[in-house]
Amino acid sequence: MNSLSVSQINKHFHEPVDFHVLKDISFEVDKGDFVAIVGKSGSGKSTLLYLLSTMDTEYEGSISINGKQITGLNQNQLAAFRNEHIGFVFQFHFLLPEFTVLDNVMLPALKLGKKSKEEIAEKALELLSLLDIQELEHKSAAKISGGQQQRVAIARALINSPSIIMGDEPTGNLDSKNTQIVFDIFRQLAQEEGQTIIAVTHDDEFASNCDKIIELADGRLI
Amino acid sequence: MNTNQKIARTLLTSRLRQLMVAVLSVTFGISMYVAMNSFMAGVNEEQTEIVFSSMSHIKIYNDLPGDAKPILPDSEEENTVLMVNNTRNIRYTEGIKNVEALKQELAKVEEVSGFTAQLNQNIFVRNGVTQKSATLSGIETANEDQLFETSTYIIEGDLFELERRSNGIILGSGLAQLVGVNTGDNLTVSTSEGVSKAFKVVGLIETGAINVDRSKAWVSMQAARQLFSKNRSYATELMVNVKDYNEAQEVATQLSRLTPYKVEPWQEGNSQLDSSSLLRDIIAIAVSLTIMIVAGFGIYNIMNMTVNEKIKEIAILKAMGFNGKDVVEIFLTQSVVIGMMGGLIGLVMGNIIMRIIDNIPFEVGTMTTLPVVYRPYDYIMAFAFGIIITFLAGYLPAKKASKLDPVEILRG
Repeated sequence: MNSLSVSQINKHFHEPVDFHVLKDISFEVDKGDFVAIVGKSGSGKSTLLYLLSTMDTEYEGSISINGKQITGLNQNQLAAFRNEHIGFVFQFHFLLPEFTVLDNVMLPALKLGKKSKEEIAEKALELLSLLDIQELEHKSAAKISGGQQQRVAIARALINSPSIIMGDEPTGNLDSKNTQIVFDIFRQLAQEEGQTIIAVTHDDEFASNCDKIIELADGRLI
Repeated sequence: MNTNQKIARTLLTSRLRQLMVAVLSVTFGISMYVAMNSFMAGVNEEQTEIVFSSMSHIKIYNDLPGDAKPILPDSEEENTVLMVNNTRNIRYTEGIKNVEALKQELAKVEEVSGFTAQLNQNIFVRNGVTQKSATLSGIETANEDQLFETSTYIIEGDLFELERRSNGIILGSGLAQLVGVNTGDNLTVSTSEGVSKAFKVVGLIETGAINVDRSKAWVSMQAARQLFSKNRSYATELMVNVKDYNEAQEVATQLSRLTPYKVEPWQEGNSQLDSSSLLRDIIAIAVSLTIMIVAGFGIYNIMNMTVNEKIKEIAILKAMGFNGKDVVEIFLTQSVVIGMMGGLIGLVMGNIIMRIIDNIPFEVGTMTTLPVVYRPYDYIMAFAFGIIITFLAGYLPAKKASKLDPVEILRG
């Protein structure tokens, strides 16, 4: 089954002047694939990722995830869909600074509400120890280092066991050792859990180890 | 506590100073609402009390029929002109003839809380060459005291002395001064029919209403009947108090079926009292609502700032799958919590302020301190208004936050 199917996507920016960012993009991603989206700055790869993440809804064409067409759903339906099926890792960590590390990781699962609080906490601690930051659980998210914050953000993206994990330069703020850890986790999730990974990256080494590379240039697939 | 409430709590407690300012603005609004209304109600009550110190809720007396009945029927014939000049009503009876029977009827009416008969006549009070006209009230001492708390206005002597001495008289303080007598002195009372009788002053009354104090004198009912040579069931007025003076009109209608005499509720002819207390209420509500609305703007401002400050966090929450409704709930919970906290503190503060005002000396007339009443109704209304206004003030920024597009903010 296709995990992700994109057909004939076109996207314009209207401000400050009309700009055709994405041109006739179509591709498919299989379940359990580890995909890298690469391209030069300004080629539209982040924009594409935001469309795939369902957060940006202003485009022509259609996107289906897990066989369900998400184009045309309303904002609340999309929010519920994102919550359950998509884990997103931003270029900057984007943690909630008022909350502890553990709370940050737990929030999407508490919103989903399918498990008890204890189960969620257990899963969150598991993820934190997988990412080697379990001792930070009670610290404020604002008071840990940038690399640690990025790993907390990754743990947060994984908490609901989403079918697709998307990352906008997920390892951009990590050193090579931690990049390797994160890469291995992604790889393992793709193979063992069948979770699809889509990551925008500048890192050629990261990209070369992926199953599939989607390369963009001037808004077109190469 | 669900997830949204937990988020709301964390966001609230992360900025304690701001929270305090917001809570204080609600506290101020609500305590002022309570204070204004308690004070105004106190003023109204004091006013009513003064009014009802000499006036009952309902008065029953023998009145002339309102308009004269035509003496001759209109003529049928075209060429006849009928002229009757200067028609007037003739009073066949004076006063209430059989007041005891009427009193027994009144005792059966549930809404009536008390009644007393009076025999009021104009008299002249003379002390040597000084002579003043005054109104003499023959009263049933015990009933009178129950209705008007007359004994609390006694500044010298004892009201019940009237029962013990048939020649005892109590004067308004102003009247006593005008005729130059003190307690213990003798004076002469003469009626319009030329009967004179000596009385001994056994007490002085000061009601605070200067007209009353300068023109009234009280004797016992028996003494008055004797003075005016009336039978022992005669009275000119029957004063009736009801349980709720606001319902005097309804009760009066009910009582008028029991008796042929005129039954007059206090609102008739005293509409200025009614209107002035209504006006005071309107002012109190207008001022206190204004204060609350200003407090509401304060909360609106603070919540708006919070939304702008937390714009990134809102975008993150939405990216994680929180929808517009969740965002509204998170921010609305914050303002409702502010409203509740401010409201409760405001009620306590309002009560403390009122206790202070209650003790401020204000020695004018019969008052000693500023008048205040403590009505649960004011506190409930203050709290309800406070919650409604904070709810509205929180809803608008929350709505704005819920409409926010996460992509625009997160893409940077």
